[in-house]
Amino acid sequence: MKILSAAIIAMLATSTAALAADKPELRIGSVVAMTGPASALGLPEKNAIELRQEQLASDTSLPFTIKFITYDDGSDPTKAVNNVRKLITEDRAHVVICCTTTPTSMAILETVTQAKVPNISLALGQSVIEPVKDRMWVFKTPSTDQLQVTGLVADMVKRGIKKVAFLGLEDSFGEGGWIALQSVAKAKGVEIIASERFSRTDTNFTPQALKVRQAEPGAVYIHAIPPSSALVHQALKRVGYNGPIYHSGGSANNAFISIGKKDVEGALLGTTPVLVYTDLPDSNPLKPVIKSFAALYEKRFNVPKVDIFPGQSWDAVNIALKAAGEAMKAGTKFDDLDASRAAIRDKIEGSIKEFVGVGGIFTYSPTDHLGLDERSTFIAVVKDGEFRLYDSK
Amino acid sequence: MIDTALFLLVDGLTNGLVYALLALSLVLVFTVTRVVNIAQGEYVMLGALTLADLLQGRMPGTLYLLIGGLTLCVVLDGSRWRRDWRQALLVVLGAVAAAAFAVAITRGALWLKLPVIGMMAVALMLVAPLGVLIYRFTVHPIPNASTIVFVIISVGVSMSVQGLGLLIWGASPYAVDPIMPGGVMMGPVFIPYQSFAILITALLSMGGLYLFSEFTLVGKALQASAMNRRGAQFCGIPVTAAGALAFLLAAAFSAISGMLLAPLITANYEMGFMVGLKGFVGGAMGGLIDYPLSLAGVMIVGALESTSAYVASAYRDAIVFSLLIPILLWRSSRQRVEGH
Repeated sequence: MKILSAAIIAMLATSTAALAADKPELRIGSVVAMTGPASALGLPEKNAIELRQEQLASDTSLPFTIKFITYDDGSDPTKAVNNVRKLITEDRAHVVICCTTTPTSMAILETVTQAKVPNISLALGQSVIEPVKDRMWVFKTPSTDQLQVTGLVADMVKRGIKKVAFLGLEDSFGEGGWIALQSVAKAKGVEIIASERFSRTDTNFTPQALKVRQAEPGAVYIHAIPPSSALVHQALKRVGYNGPIYHSGGSANNAFISIGKKDVEGALLGTTPVLVYTDLPDSNPLKPVIKSFAALYEKRFNVPKVDIFPGQSWDAVNIALKAAGEAMKAGTKFDDLDASRAAIRDKIEGSIKEFVGVGGIFTYSPTDHLGLDERSTFIAVVKDGEFRLYDSK
Repeated sequence: MIDTALFLLVDGLTNGLVYALLALSLVLVFTVTRVVNIAQGEYVMLGALTLADLLQGRMPGTLYLLIGGLTLCVVLDGSRWRRDWRQALLVVLGAVAAAAFAVAITRGALWLKLPVIGMMAVALMLVAPLGVLIYRFTVHPIPNASTIVFVIISVGVSMSVQGLGLLIWGASPYAVDPIMPGGVMMGPVFIPYQSFAILITALLSMGGLYLFSEFTLVGKALQASAMNRRGAQFCGIPVTAAGALAFLLAAAFSAISGMLLAPLITANYEMGFMVGLKGFVGGAMGGLIDYPLSLAGVMIVGALESTSAYVASAYRDAIVFSLLIPILLWRSSRQRVEGH
């Protein structure tokens, strides 16, 4: 009996192997921060990749088989570089999805560019993909500060606000927001009348809030992450500022509300559609895509509400798959590593048009490796302790 | 203008009181053991996170540290087992009893759903012994090492404890309930009740330390070891025990300051280090040996911090830390005068 079952298993194994051998193998390598300070972002990203992998395992309709290789970078740039090298040389990956944070994604730029491997980053920072001519091999799926700030400043203009005050973290994250606000405000004719900084480990935010209130701005823009973003918001309320307060996407998470409580009611946040998709009109093409992804993810990982991070790696995998499929149709052989890597890169740039993902509608081009526009950025408002869609588009 | 100044002053002094408990811990540890304890701020973090866990009805991660530390203690003392099995047995039993007691009071507190003050007491009982354990692992084996060695060790301790904090609690911040929610309008300034709680607790802690060291035998022994280590030893005071006691009290004071601070700024794994350094700047004013001068120092630090955050927010930390230079100049000039 035992021998028989063993024989059957062996037969099955050889037959699937034989089946697989007919199809070329596409190797998608990814490096995300499963441990370390960025693990709150990296773990959901890994989960989404895992989810897609499980789905595809039973899918025989694809013209190729897919091998996923996923490594941890521990939120550390050096480790990210080492693991990306390993993916490129040892695992011979066709596409690399890396990395969770902006510093790690910046660190691997040279590695992927030299090896000529397409990389899809999951980092927020615009510097990862710009200038495009130096970042030919790098794309990204998350929205950027620039895009979100554009949406927020447009709302200020709509309300007739002429003066805005900036409050931001004094690290590279805050600096990114400051640069974005400066360029957007200038373009839209809004004046920045105050700029105050604070750090994540500060124990008192009232002085900066006082200074900002006394500058009498029409609106305040806070570019930080919880807890400090929520604490600065509270400090503004405490010193008697009553105008609108805008936040970056960095605050669009549950920690913001659980820390700020009642004080953050009415806060306006730039965000991706995932946070507010239930409030979108049914006509919006993003709604069904996000809805089905959210249902899948929430069921598989038993979470009450999906956040923005898993969608980013989900989109990255799907973009890679589509581009690889197109490249194959155009006659690329996956055995020829260099040629197929180049072909997949060209197809990401050339064939991902109006691609509806979870994080937005992607249209990549030789001049745009972000692929998103204002249709994919939304403003959320905190209402009764929940994020709701503020301005229905 | 006046209300701006009031706001800055109130917040500056509130923060100053938080730093005061830190400065107190630093002075206590330095006088008794000659350790400049850079890691003192980490007890702030441990206190705050332990309280956050207890208030949310979870078994605090601090128990891992405590039980792990006790186990390590038993293992380290294992070499002595052959020579003196009675004492070894005592150590093992003591460790087991301590661990069981810690788990029992935590369970009890969670079951009874104590109010914030009660949870603070439980958190204190869990965090303060960690000070003794860290003393046992880092200072006790090399009592006569130079100050610089201790500084380097304490930097290592700070990094390790922060890393363990990240491992146990993760990077996300936890909201902590204040002792009493709400606040009161005093003129134009809204003052949360928590600020008063900080004031009262800080005064009680300082008063408690004063009474303890002036009016109890153990406290006097502690003072004696602080003034003259060798002399105290000749008088039969166990200076090792005094060092452990100093670490225990210091950990307790710092943990209290963390628990008071947490409702204002949430609890997270990296909150302690900066608070510790600012307490250090204040303590430097008293040369890490003079309590009243150190207290004056931290109040100056608190007030300077809030004014500089108002005037030039991007440079506030630079301004606060460059305060060290005039402080050191002032101290060295004073010393020269005293010397002659």
